[in-house]
Amino acid sequence: MPVQKFRSIEDMNNAPMPESWRPDFERFLRHCARYWAIAPRVYPRGVFKFRTIEEAQNARARG
Amino acid sequence: MDRDEILRVLRAFETSGLEYVLIGATAMGFHGLVRATEDLDLFIRATPDNVERLRAALRESYDDDPHIDEISSADLLGEYPAVRYYPPTGDLYFDVLTRLGEFARFETVDAEIKEIEGTRVRVATPAALYRLKKGTIRAKDHQDAAALRERFNLKDEG
Repeated sequence: MPVQKFRSIEDMNNAPMPESWRPDFERFLRHCARYWAIAPRVYPRGVFKFRTIEEAQNARARG
Repeated sequence: MDRDEILRVLRAFETSGLEYVLIGATAMGFHGLVRATEDLDLFIRATPDNVERLRAALRESYDDDPHIDEISSADLLGEYPAVRYYPPTGDLYFDVLTRLGEFARFETVDAEIKEIEGTRVRVATPAALYRLKKGTIRAKDHQDAAALRERFNLKDEG
């Protein structure tokens, strides 16, 4: 069913997602690749150490 | 996140004998809950031998990147239970954990084996991921927890 048509955005949001033939992890990898293509980041290099997961998350949020 | 890179690293984890469990969005991907992420989160068993296995796997995957020597068991078993490694490829990073406060560590996270292209991957179960995510303060984790609860019909304990 390559094309689905809806009378409203609500109908669209409520429509069941078709099952993908791709394995779950393959879909995940392809999704990440698309994300990267749209929003590439520049990371530092090396190793960073944190006393808590909150410290690690804050560092990530600061980018 | 490059597909071949991820598969190479997961293969190196297996061949090195690393005792680990994948958590976070990558683990959710194995369970069919797909969202983008930039990192690969894992708990490892907190022993010096296992930290060495981690280093060996990363060296194999990243052409002996000298930064890998900065990952030490003294840190991971001591004052720094969370270590972030940015490899030279530059399009993902690793968050390596030995414990999460008093709340979680490798031994307390239920896991199952998934397989991709002949590589066995140790992945936290949906219920374990839910437990890890539901108690945190990040909005993204709350969304993940809700998605896990709905998809796998999970109930809160107690």
